[in-house]
Amino acid sequence: MRNTIAIMERELFSLFFSPIGYIVVAGFLLITGVIVLVTGSIAPGKPATLRSVFDFTPYVLTIIIPAISMRTISEEYRSGTIETLTTAPVTDTQFVIGKYLAAMIFYTIMLAGTLVYLVLMMIYGNPDVGASLASYLGLLLLGASFTAFGVFTSSLTKNQIVAWMLGMVPLMLFVWFAAFIVQHAQGGLRTAFQKINVLRHLDQFNRGLITTESVVFFLATAVFFLFLTTKVVESRRWR
Amino acid sequence: MIEVRNLTKYYGSLCAVNGVSFTVGDGEIVGFLGPNGAGKTTTIRILTCFHPASAGSATVAGHDVFTESMAVRARVGYMPESVPLYVEMRVREYLRFRGKIRGLDRDTRERSIARVTERCWLTDVIDRPIGHLSKGYRQRVGLADALLHNPPVLILDEPTIGLDPTQIRATRALIRELAEDHTVMLSSHILPEVEATCRRLIIINKGQIVASGTPAELRERITGGSKIIVEIKAPAEQAATAIRKLDGVRAVETHADGDWCSLAVSSDSDRREAIFRLAAQHDWPLRELRRDVATLEDFFVKIVAGARDAHSVAHTTGDQQR
Repeated sequence: MRNTIAIMERELFSLFFSPIGYIVVAGFLLITGVIVLVTGSIAPGKPATLRSVFDFTPYVLTIIIPAISMRTISEEYRSGTIETLTTAPVTDTQFVIGKYLAAMIFYTIMLAGTLVYLVLMMIYGNPDVGASLASYLGLLLLGASFTAFGVFTSSLTKNQIVAWMLGMVPLMLFVWFAAFIVQHAQGGLRTAFQKINVLRHLDQFNRGLITTESVVFFLATAVFFLFLTTKVVESRRWR
Repeated sequence: MIEVRNLTKYYGSLCAVNGVSFTVGDGEIVGFLGPNGAGKTTTIRILTCFHPASAGSATVAGHDVFTESMAVRARVGYMPESVPLYVEMRVREYLRFRGKIRGLDRDTRERSIARVTERCWLTDVIDRPIGHLSKGYRQRVGLADALLHNPPVLILDEPTIGLDPTQIRATRALIRELAEDHTVMLSSHILPEVEATCRRLIIINKGQIVASGTPAELRERITGGSKIIVEIKAPAEQAATAIRKLDGVRAVETHADGDWCSLAVSSDSDRREAIFRLAAQHDWPLRELRRDVATLEDFFVKIVAGARDAHSVAHTTGDQQR
């Protein structure tokens, strides 16, 4: 546990030290700000809801989350620090979870930046706070699953940009074309795609519904990709 | 402290280390010597649990590197060749992080940091970002990190590479000092380096151990082939014939240079006195008379070259058979 926390702290330090961290946060907040503006979420006479922001955010996150997680493991390989780290008494699982937690905390801090819109709405209107909090929970869980995938792609390469692309492209295909895929698939395949459709799960939260199915879906995918990551880190020793 | 048996490591089809066996006793300081690409780093990486071996076994401080990896890692201080560090961190922050993952509690950690920074002359730069430090200082940060948990075994991969002469001397002195209460294994491809610090050398080439022993033992193996260099003002042939007649002289090579000629005399024993008397007798002026003591360097080059020849011969015969 102490090792995991030490690795997490160090990774967070590097994330906040690097310009990439700030650029990612600034980019995300700028885009969500523009979404608030364009969708007229805060305008007189409109219903006091952040629904449109929550609907758009997963599309943005397919790009932003891999950018947060891209450096986590690939940078250790590039700089060679993996050698001092994995020859210290640290297990591969502690290493991977430490990295993952750092990326998750960074993501949570970034997401918390958008709370300002909710606060503004509470000052000037009467939004459904419960539903908004459910949406935030949904975004956190979605982030947990995307970040795990991002950390996984980061473990595959020593190049951060490659890790970003490897993380971003599948997520984009999966989220941006989710509706299209579900529409064109047939039979059992269609049911399978519906089950793993990230947007459908997120939509539940946006309606204010916290279902066991969706919570388990996001957490299970996160655990699955973290497990794969430890296997990749382990297998790289054999090469 | 370190026991290696038939260690073998393949990278794909490339054999980096081939059946290496050696032991390093408690409190010993051993130099691991070989040309670039000989398999030094691979062996060291297996001992420090970075890579698993393809075959064979190794124990460090009584624990198997594969099955008891965590116990080995806790007892080894390792400085990798390139000294990878987190450049964005300050020296103190880095050492604190390393102390934490080594399981040192806060008090021990701070005391250890104070101890290693003093020992590795880092006090002046303790609050500077590692990225701003010179190669020499980074090397010392790496060494400080290896010493942080006061491990019984220190494994240093090329500890003085890239340092300036003053730093090399200081580092050598530090390593000798550390050897008093640690078992030290260090690698190098430069012989004087290990000769200056180590009590025993293991020479590795092409993934195999080609020689091992104390510097004196290794030197003894070559003094038999020592030569006497003579520069004399005399007709070359006449001088060579006269010297050949001396007791114990096996061969004489001559090289004429104007009136002077230089002779390389191979003999079983030191025949300098006899050569001097011979020159005096013939009234040949003598301007140089010295024994060319073979250095360990020659030995190193000879073994490495020898092993290379043997290797290429094996290759050619293999090709012919095919």
